Amino acid sequence: MNQAGGAIFRLLGQLARRFAVFPWLVRVVFGQPVAAVMGLTWKAAFRFRLFLVVSVLLLASVVALPLLIKDDGTARGFTQILLTYTLTTISALLGLSTLWLACGTLARDIEECQIQVVAVKPVARWQIWLGKWLGLVSLNAALLALAGLCVFVLLQWRATRLSPAEQEVLHREVLVARGSARAPSLEADIDHDTDQVLKERLQKNPVSNADLNEVRKQVREQVKAVYQVVPPGYMREWKIDMGSGRRLAAGRPFQVRIKFNSADRSPSGTFNGLWAVGAPPKTPVQRLEPMRLAPDTFHEFEVPSSLVDDTGILTLTFLNGNDTALLFPLEDGMEVLYREGGFALNFARGLGIIFCWMALLATIGLAAASFLSFPVAAFFSMGMLTLALSSGTLANAVSEGTLGGYNAEKGTPGHTAVDTVAIPVFQGVLAVINLAKQFSPIESLSSGRSITWGQLALAFSQIVLLLGGVFAVIGVAAFSRRELATAQGTQ
Amino acid sequence: MPEAASRAPSTPAETVVTVRGLTKVFKDFWGRAKARAVDNVDFEVRRGEVFGLLGPNGSGKSTTVKLILGLLNPTKGRIEVFGHSTRHVATKARIGYLPEESYLYRYLNSHETLDFFGNLFHLPKDQRENRSEQLLEMVGLSQTRTRAVGEFSKGMQRRIGLAQALINDPDLVILDEPTSGLDPIGCREVKDLILALARRGKTVILSSHLLSDVEDVCDRVVIYYGGKIQAQGTLGDLLAKPDSVRITSPILPRETMERLLEIIRRDVASDRVRVDTPTQNLESYFLNVVQAARQAAAETSGATSGARVAPYLRGDGDGKAGGEKLLERLTLPQERPAPAAAAAPAETVDRQKLEALTHPTAPAPITPAAAAKPQELEQANEKLSNLLGKPKE
Repeated sequence: MNQAGGAIFRLLGQLARRFAVFPWLVRVVFGQPVAAVMGLTWKAAFRFRLFLVVSVLLLASVVALPLLIKDDGTARGFTQILLTYTLTTISALLGLSTLWLACGTLARDIEECQIQVVAVKPVARWQIWLGKWLGLVSLNAALLALAGLCVFVLLQWRATRLSPAEQEVLHREVLVARGSARAPSLEADIDHDTDQVLKERLQKNPVSNADLNEVRKQVREQVKAVYQVVPPGYMREWKIDMGSGRRLAAGRPFQVRIKFNSADRSPSGTFNGLWAVGAPPKTPVQRLEPMRLAPDTFHEFEVPSSLVDDTGILTLTFLNGNDTALLFPLEDGMEVLYREGGFALNFARGLGIIFCWMALLATIGLAAASFLSFPVAAFFSMGMLTLALSSGTLANAVSEGTLGGYNAEKGTPGHTAVDTVAIPVFQGVLAVINLAKQFSPIESLSSGRSITWGQLALAFSQIVLLLGGVFAVIGVAAFSRRELATAQGTQ
Repeated sequence: MPEAASRAPSTPAETVVTVRGLTKVFKDFWGRAKARAVDNVDFEVRRGEVFGLLGPNGSGKSTTVKLILGLLNPTKGRIEVFGHSTRHVATKARIGYLPEESYLYRYLNSHETLDFFGNLFHLPKDQRENRSEQLLEMVGLSQTRTRAVGEFSKGMQRRIGLAQALINDPDLVILDEPTSGLDPIGCREVKDLILALARRGKTVILSSHLLSDVEDVCDRVVIYYGGKIQAQGTLGDLLAKPDSVRITSPILPRETMERLLEIIRRDVASDRVRVDTPTQNLESYFLNVVQAARQAAAETSGATSGARVAPYLRGDGDGKAGGEKLLERLTLPQERPAPAAAAAPAETVDRQKLEALTHPTAPAPITPAAAAKPQELEQANEKLSNLLGKPKE
């Protein structure tokens, strides 16, 4: 508790220092007018009680959610779900309010004509835009810090009420920053094998060019399945390079995180798992106690870090003692986790990535308001957000190569004229969306994974600088060219 | 922008605003012309003059002002302000603008409003504080400095709008319908302020459809109709009747009058000579009534009369050295060119002078002595209230 309390006070101190310095910094770096416009955004948020309302909603969600959610009954499960739900709710609430405020702060100024009095002062249009943006992102930072602090305190408080054994599990698997090591990628091998199998098939049964892509896809899936599957009575071995994990673990055990699927159901709902760790003669072998594990979900168990060989390789072997084949997905079927750092800083970095998302939303909202009226800008921004959130549909269309879908039974050709245009467009849109969506701080935090400074820097570069930069350039250009006195005022 | 840098020495004939072939056509979404608000307009505004844009509603005055300020882009033509394009940011440090409505942030109070705009002009904190206090005093809002602007009456909003336009001690002041929404005292104060600014060598562009505003303060005007300039020149040139003369004197004995008329009739036909008693205008009458009421210490929750132009706008403030002030007083014209109107307004009502002037002609004006009579004052107040509408609380 002392440790947690200390961390909280340190965080509070840092926040207080940061916010006292921030306006001064803006004034020094961007000038007095930018700082004034930024301050105006803060005053508007307080005077219109937006800050109060959003704060209350955020805090209510942090307090109310634990009462509503259902978990697996373990402290670990509850904490994971709590982290996921609260951080998702905070992101959603903040995201919507950011878009709304971003559209309103500029579009309303133009519609209600206040901008006419501001724009005739010796302040460039880009400075007005930047001031508004800085106001929005600093407001977001404050709200996010407030909500994040509440979640952090709540988690720490709940942890203190658990038994020492449960606390240990919690701090080992959830309230921790863990690095990850995986087996080398098999994509190149799969592609190679796919090409070979496809070649053999085509020699036997030629197919038309139109179906070639589909056939290749099907063949690849089959080849991939071979790499993933462990048939009944067979063994599968993974050799994982632990890299710096061995040093960072410092004698602490690793956590092996696995997930498998099965085509058949077991009457008990679980399957036997026989695991061995180590590769003789380089290291001793340790057989783990037989486990009964449910499919389609993640499981974690500990293995000693001393079983890593001299070259840093950890060898894991699985024997399938069941009557059915088990399939370990290449993406997330096998992973070894090791302690890299504490939870507090990891949590702060996770909030940092969420903040990058908010900064992007503020940029999108302001950019839309730079050339659209308030309702249209709000609609446009919400549309963009919806598009980003529904990128799974786009991804499906891209992976199938068609909007209509391919009917394998009827042999209906999947490709239409629309697809030739739509699919490349979707691919482009997806690539852009993935620049922001490829980061998953909430999932990482709830599974106790480390969010590195590198990831945070990459998120900032991709989300704020690259994507945000593009929207900002569009927004500033539109705002600079816009005639600001066409509105007649709606005050 | 540093103020010193923006105060480049100006020659007396310096052109502050140049407008050449200015045309503004408003278009719809499809690019089709909707309205030709300004049509091929040319004029120049020179340093130190009060220039009036006069015309009925929708004639293109406000559009011209917004084009000069860079808030609208001209369809054709060229505008230069202090020799620069209207988008030149540094030039804006020399401009003060009061829009036709007080487009202010409703959630800021008066002091915050002035502080915010002071920041946009890069004014240091002490100067912002100093000027805000002086301006609030000047516009009569020093007692409401912590009230949100959104709670103000329209007149009070105009006052704070005027204050923000002057926070930078501008060289060019553009006032769009400055007296709209103001009570007669406020109107008088605004006109006094314009005259005070002009005395300091500031240039003022005044857009109005109120003829009395323009007539009282402007040196030169352009008259708009349908987006075009219909007439322009000095008020003297435009309003003078070169074939007539007017003599004004105190009341004369009947015999003297008859002798005078006899002499005049020797040269001019009887039907072309007119003798009448000049009447006071409603504005002067109203100011007298309010002055009397103020002496009776009536309270108000609204704006109080500022009356005094802020010292820094008179050139007294902002720590100017005594020598500089003296130099300014010596170099600036002490007398304004007399407006063409016969009754040039005094900056403040000199009640003793007024009494002396009006005493012999007992019937019309209310003297302070008369104001002391509560019944008459009440009647006059009621009459004016009916005429001007009840003031907002």
